Order: sequence, then C-alpha cells, then structure tokens
Amino acid sequence: MSARSISFRQTSGGRFRGWDRFDYLLVLAALGLVTFGLLLIYSGSARAYTGPTISFANPVTKQAAFAIIGIGMMLLVSKLDYHYLTHLAWALYIGSLLSLVALMFLGHSAGGSTRWFNVGPVQLQPSEFAKLATILLLANYFSEHGGDAKDFRTLLISLAIVAPSALLVFFQPDLGTAIVFLAMWLGVVLVAGVSRSHLVVVGAVGLVVLPFAWTFAVADYQVERISILVDPQQDPLGAGYNVNQAKIAIGSGGTFGKGLTNGEQTQRGYLKVPTKDFIFSVLGEEMGFAGAMALFGLFILLLMRGIRAAQIAGDTAGQLVAVGIVVLILMQAFINIAVNLSLFPVTGIPLPLVSQGGSSLVSIFVSLGILQSIIMRHRAYRQT
Amino acid sequence: MALRIAVIVLFAVLTGQLARMQLLEGDAYAQKSRENNLTVKEILPSRGIIVDRKGVPLVENVGVYTATITPVFLPDNDAARYAIYQRLESLIGVPALELQTRVKDAEKGGRADIEILLDKQLTKEQAISLEEATTDMPGVAVSIKPGRSYIAGNAFSQILGYVGPQTAKEYAALKGDGYSLNESIGKLGVEARYESYLRGAKGATAAEQDAQGNLIRALKTRDPLAGNTVKLSIDSELQNYVTDLLADSMADPNYATATKAAAVVMDAKTGQLLALASVPNYDNNIFNQLDTRGAEYNALANDQVGRPLTNQAISSSAPGSTFKIVTAAAGLQEGTITPQTSRDIPSAVLEIKGENGVIYPLVDWKAHGPGIDLTAAIAYSSNIYFFAVACGIPAGSFQPQRGLGKDVESSAVILGYYARAFGFGAPTGLDIGDEEPGLIPSPEWLKRVKAGPEFNPEDREWYYANTCFMGIGQGDVTATPLQIARMTAAVANGGKLLTPRVAQSIVDASGKTIKEFKPEFKTVPVDAANLAAIRAGMRGSVQYGAGKRAAVPGMDIAGKTGTAEFGPQRPDGSYAQHAWFTGFYPFDDPQYVVTVYFDLGVGGDKAAPTASKIFAWMQKNYTP
Repeated sequence: MSARSISFRQTSGGRFRGWDRFDYLLVLAALGLVTFGLLLIYSGSARAYTGPTISFANPVTKQAAFAIIGIGMMLLVSKLDYHYLTHLAWALYIGSLLSLVALMFLGHSAGGSTRWFNVGPVQLQPSEFAKLATILLLANYFSEHGGDAKDFRTLLISLAIVAPSALLVFFQPDLGTAIVFLAMWLGVVLVAGVSRSHLVVVGAVGLVVLPFAWTFAVADYQVERISILVDPQQDPLGAGYNVNQAKIAIGSGGTFGKGLTNGEQTQRGYLKVPTKDFIFSVLGEEMGFAGAMALFGLFILLLMRGIRAAQIAGDTAGQLVAVGIVVLILMQAFINIAVNLSLFPVTGIPLPLVSQGGSSLVSIFVSLGILQSIIMRHRAYRQT
Repeated sequence: MALRIAVIVLFAVLTGQLARMQLLEGDAYAQKSRENNLTVKEILPSRGIIVDRKGVPLVENVGVYTATITPVFLPDNDAARYAIYQRLESLIGVPALELQTRVKDAEKGGRADIEILLDKQLTKEQAISLEEATTDMPGVAVSIKPGRSYIAGNAFSQILGYVGPQTAKEYAALKGDGYSLNESIGKLGVEARYESYLRGAKGATAAEQDAQGNLIRALKTRDPLAGNTVKLSIDSELQNYVTDLLADSMADPNYATATKAAAVVMDAKTGQLLALASVPNYDNNIFNQLDTRGAEYNALANDQVGRPLTNQAISSSAPGSTFKIVTAAAGLQEGTITPQTSRDIPSAVLEIKGENGVIYPLVDWKAHGPGIDLTAAIAYSSNIYFFAVACGIPAGSFQPQRGLGKDVESSAVILGYYARAFGFGAPTGLDIGDEEPGLIPSPEWLKRVKAGPEFNPEDREWYYANTCFMGIGQGDVTATPLQIARMTAAVANGGKLLTPRVAQSIVDASGKTIKEFKPEFKTVPVDAANLAAIRAGMRGSVQYGAGKRAAVPGMDIAGKTGTAEFGPQRPDGSYAQHAWFTGFYPFDDPQYVVTVYFDLGVGGDKAAPTASKIFAWMQKNYTP
C-alpha cells in the first residue's frame, strides 16, 4: 500500500460517524490510571501538604484540574483530523526544538538537571511535547517517502529527525527520556519495514560510539546513579538511599499492601518525590502486589487498544503515529516502574497518567486524542 | 503484532521482579521498613554533683550549647547557602568559608544527612539568638549537651578533676560497662575516681521516627537515673583559706621566694582530709574551653617552674628534719636509744673518723650545748643527735654511740623498715590523683640504680654518710607532704597509719547516705610510749624550739620543722632549701594534723608561721 494515494476526502459520504467508533475502552483505561494517580498523589502528598482540599496548591486538586483539561484536549483532538497535525509536524517539531534549546538558557534546574520552564504557577516541560512532535514528524516523513524505511538514506534521515531532540534531552541531562526517544524511533522504523541489515549497521555504530558518549557526555550524577543501581548498599545514605528506600517501600507492601495513607515509608518521608518519579513505590507499599497488578492491567489494556489503533489505522501516517504513541507510553511506563524496582538507573521519567505533573498528563491525553482520531477515521482513509 | 509481544514481555519482566520483592522477599523488606522507622534514643542521666563536708556544691551541671549543620536540609541554591554561612559567622563567629568547606567535605564523603557539630561552645545568649534565627536557616540547629561547670574556684581544681569526652582508648575499655561514645566521663580527681557513683544510669526511649529523624510517637521510655552526690571531707572554706594563705606566703624578703607550695589538713583519727592545697593552681573549666583558652592551657602545661598542673601535695621532695620523727621512732623501738639518751654538742661540727681513715665532718645548724636528750633534740632539731641515732658514732670519735644496726648498711635497712612502716616510699592510697611514691633508699637500692657501666664501682658503695643523711631526711630520701601528714597523724593518734581520703560519703538523689567511707589504717610497729616520747619533743619544738613560730596562743600544738637542702651546692657553699612544718593539735587528744610545704624556704621561718595561721583558723572554726 502506498500512503501517497490516500485522499483527504471522506469516502463514506453523509455525516461524520466517527463518534460511533470512539474507543471507550481506551478512555476507560486512561481514566482508571488517572484515578490511581489521584489516590496515590493524595497519599504521597499527605505529609507535605496540609492546606485546604479545594486549592490549586493541593496537588490532588491540581492534578484533577489538569486531568479535566487533558480530557477536554483529548476530545478536541479526537474531533480533529490527525492529518492536520502530521502536516503541521515540521512546525511543531521546530517549535519544540527551539523550546528545548531555550530551556538550556532559561529553564529551571532541579537535582542537577534542567527540565522545565516556570510559566506563572505552571511548570511547562517542553520535552513532553517534543516527544509528540517527533512522533508526528517521523510518521509524516515516512508516509511522504514511500511509507517505508527500506532505503538506508531514509533511515538515516529519520534518525536525524530524532537525534536533535534525543541529544537535547540527553544533555539536560535526562537519560531516560533520551532512551524513550530512541525506542520511539526504533518502534516506528520497525513498523515502517526497516531492513534488518541497515538496523544492524546503525546499531553497531551506536555501540562503538557509546563508550565515548559515556565518558564525555554522561553527567557524573548519571554515572553514579547507574553504578549505584549495581550495588545500592555500597552507600546506603548517599546516592543509593532513594533506590534502597523505594525497594523497602515496595517490598514491604507484600501481597495486599498496607492500605492507602498507611505506608510508613511513604508517610514518613523515606521516599523522595513520592507523587512523581517514585509514585509506583507508594502504590507498591500501600496497595501491594494486587494493586500493582490492577495498574499493570490498566496499562496493558490501554496499550493493547493503542496497538489496535495502529492495526486498523487507515493509512501509513496514522499507523506510524499510533505505533509511536504506544511505544512512548510503553517505554515511559516501563522505565519508570523499572526504576522503582531497581531494574534501571534513577532517571526523571514520570509514570504516564499516574505521576503528578500537568505537562505529562495533558500531553498523554493529547496523544490519546490522536489515537482516537486515527480510530475514528480509519474507514475514511482505508485505501480502496 | 510484535508490539503486543513487547508489551506483554516488558510487563512480565516488571511483574516478575515485583513478585520477587513483594511475595518472596516481602517479609524481609517489611522488617527493614520497621527498622527504618524505629529508633532507640538514649537519655543521658544528669551527673551527680560533688559537695564539701558541709554540703556546699563545688560543681554544677550546665547545658553546653553548640551549633550543628545538617547539609541535606540546607537550601540547594549556593547563594542561599552562603547567606546562611555568613549569618552564622556573625552570630557565632565561625568563619563562613570554614563552614562552606566542612559542608562540601561532608557532602563529598556521603555524610550529607549526618549533622556536623561545630565544636564551638556558645554562650547562652548566642544560643538563644541562634535558636531564634534557625527558623530562617534550614539545616542549622542548636544542640545542647550536658556539661559541667566548676564553681568552687581554682583551689579545687586538683581535687575535683574534670569531665570530658572519651578517648578512643577509654571508649574501648568502657564500652563493656554500657558507655556510649557520646557520654562524657570523669577525668582526673574525684570526677574520675568516683565516676561509677556520679554517672547515674542512662535512660532510653524507643520511638517511631520519620526520614528526617523527627519523632512521631514515643513507644516506651525508661527514665534515666541521676547520679549520686559525692560528699567530700574537704571544708571548702578551709581549702580556700589555705590556698590563698600559701599563695600569699610564697614571697620571702629574707630568703628565696617559693615557686610551689602545698598544705594538708587531715583528721588525725580518720585520715579524712579537710584541705589538700597546691599552689600554683589553675581553673579546671579550661579543659572544656580549650577552643577559646588554648593559649592559656599551653602556658599552664609549659610552666616548668610552678608546674601548676601538678598537685604539689602528692609530689615528693626531700623531707629534711620532719623525717627525724621516723629516726627517733626507729631508735626508741630498736632500743638503741631511750628518751633519756643524751649527747653533748659543744660545736656545730663533729669530726668522725670513717672508713679507711676518712674524716667526716657532721654538721649541725648550731652548737646545741651539753646534755641534749631526745626531747631537746627533736625540739631544737639537732642534726648531730639524729646522725648518731641513725648511723652511730664510731669508736675513737667524740662520745661513741651504737647506730640502729650492727653496721652502716644494716642501720640503713632498719631505718628504711620504719620509714616504710610510717608509709614512706609508697603511695598513701589517697582516693584521687597520681601520687608520687617518694623514695626510701637502701644499700641494695643504690647498687641497683648505679649498676650501669657509666658508674664507678665506688658509686655503688653505701657509705657511713649515706645512713647519716638518711637519718635527717636528706640524701636520697624524698616524701610527699601527704606522706608527712600521714606520718604525723600516726604519731599523734598512737600508731594508726591511716589511708587518707578526700571523699567522705556517697549520698543518693533523695539525700540518703548510701555509702560511708570508713577509716582504714595499718598499725605502726612502734610502742605507744615511744610515740609519746616523740610527741613530747614535738610539743617542745612549738613551745620553745625550732617550730615556735607555729604556736598559737591558747592552743596546745606539737610539731616538727624541716629545712631540707637540695640540688647542687652553690658557690658560697650553701644549698637551696625546702621549708617544711608538720604538727597536730590538741596535744592531749590530737584531732587535726597540719602539714605545710614550700619548695624554697626555711621550715621554722616560713612553713611554721603559715601553719600557725592554719591552726588559728582551725581553732576558730573547729575547736574540738
């Protein structure tokens, strides 16, 4: 099939019937995850926040407000034909790159890395939107260039599209997000039919470059975080402290957990950022293995519905966008949880839809809106 | 689709790890979580205090304030941090740069969550103003440690000692007794000797805490038990009086000004000390203020003339004529003299034909005249009389007399036996301090110490003169003022050689006496009649003899002076002299012993008048 032959015309004629195809299961899974998030944010912030319930300073209220904004954006984007976005991909992409560059000079630092702008009371994290813009551009590029990555030149150009964002976040430094970018690229090119031998060449070059990147580019703190992962006990009160405390929190949760707001590790401040990067540890401690399984179930449902969207997508662009979004959510969830479980070095990746943070929440909902848009229009663009 | 498989595989990996942690190792982590939260904090007891015989407190427990910085709680921003350091510098005077370096070092060393103790004692005012300021200075706190303040003045420093942090070596020895490293312990003096009574018992609280160490809920508390009070036999008023008196009496217009002095006031029946004074002295609060008073401490430690850190009352020097009491007791008990044994001393020099025809001039301080008996010899402190008692006057010389033994060596051994019986040559067993044993020489001792190849064979020889000089407390004999006082008490009380003590009893927090230190003594092997003869001579000394400047109107005092030559001979042929006086009162039923020592001076002119003032003070305050 060729993406070039797709027309922008609705083939079925008559009224727009997209809402009939709207994927309610996808939304249900997302809302389930958001609900988990609100409960865990409530528990994780109980120690630090003692103000009124209805206040923008209350992290729960704030997150709920962002969720409502996010849902609104999702509905809006669902209504929008995703081709408007793929066509705007270059503009969105350049805009997000510029904002990442600007971040280097104007951004706000925390924990040794610069990741967000302060816009009034809201912190804007451009990398969240850069991920989406990159997906859109990759999809757009492949759909315009034969819809596949069989050509080595096309593959290299697609890598060049991902590289600036990946490098910029890598130097923030944010190792995790850089890996998410690479995974997204890999997912998209695999679906776009990359030649295995080309991929081996790129991979081999990458392996050669890696040691140099390690020496020159990886910040000291990241080296330490990675080496701590290997042996967290070597310095229990230093850099390994967070990793250890997260392990204790999750491990001590057992089968059914200690109950919401009853986790000593969470409630007594042993966990750092318990509403953000380490929110899964709160879940592990207070809701136990059962709670984690419920969360995994929701994620798997969400991702499966996303993969379904990729499968039924009416054209290459839609398919690639859907794959990119699925990989984005999958990799973020996986890395975040892996960090909590000491399977991956500490890196600032939020748990999609669950962690506290407006930029991430809204951008994920926008992604889900794009998925809906793809699902709702799959018949319209099905090649005849 | 491969992506589905990827989703399942990745979540399976996470599930596997989660199952391992929560289902397989969950119990171990739950235990770790409990340990994380539980904290057992020790509560240090308040240390027992030390009071004098009348209950006057000599020490006080105080809070010692210091500032602490916990790096993890400091702001992230470097400028904000530096502002805090500068604020601290202005409040407590520790340079901001030093603070910055210490915080950075701690962070580099991975100790960011451990508080840094700034070893600087804060005044109460500083502590209060810092406490108020800490609300704006995250990471900075005021810490209060129990401390000790010595309120009785310099006169008590040698007796009390001080309290300080344990050394690593001390900790190794003490940790078996349940000491923790942060506990201070008694160093020197009463603080060290009665540590086990003063310490009390630690309490503890078990509590749940949060990650910052804030207590959430106390689970169980065991109250600490305050330490017991140590009641001394020392009279603080007397101790101060005697110390001031010694300091004021050191100067001498006619002779050298003394650099060191000591005095002992002892209960003649129990061995309890009412005063144990040493001059010069120091403020023992200095040991806990070394950060601000380091130069002062160094000056004390390096003062080789006054040696203020040394307790002169338990440091030894030549006892001179006070030792004639021992020689008299030995002669009487051995039967080589009687109280009636009499000599003529027409000249201050008696020439003796010694071994191998050597002529010894035996020198007295004056020509005592004819018919000097034991009483007069003690009263006027005749040297020749006691030379004769100790080493004898050989045949062929003026008025030959048998010495203590059959020859000069056995005479020395017999004299040494009585000297040891009176407590010389060994520590007295005082409950505090690092006592010098003093020295009682003997022929065997001389051979031992002069055994080295650097000595000539004749250096190892014990000569006639060695025994003679030993008989008047010179030569190699040394004794401490406390030993002299103890000997005096034994003569006064009829032969009980008491163990001196500064502590009288231990009193618990409710005021109940839980331990009373009973007098301990050995019996001196000298008959009561012989001791009575010596006492008569000592009474004569104060009434009309060499010690008459010790007399106090209305008091029946007996005593003995001593002027001991020491050191190298001076160009004019004279020697430097120690001044001694030791005596007791009342004569009929002796209650108290007073011994006074100056490192430079003449016994009758310097030590006796000083003793007189002490007797007068005693009469006013302690009339038996």
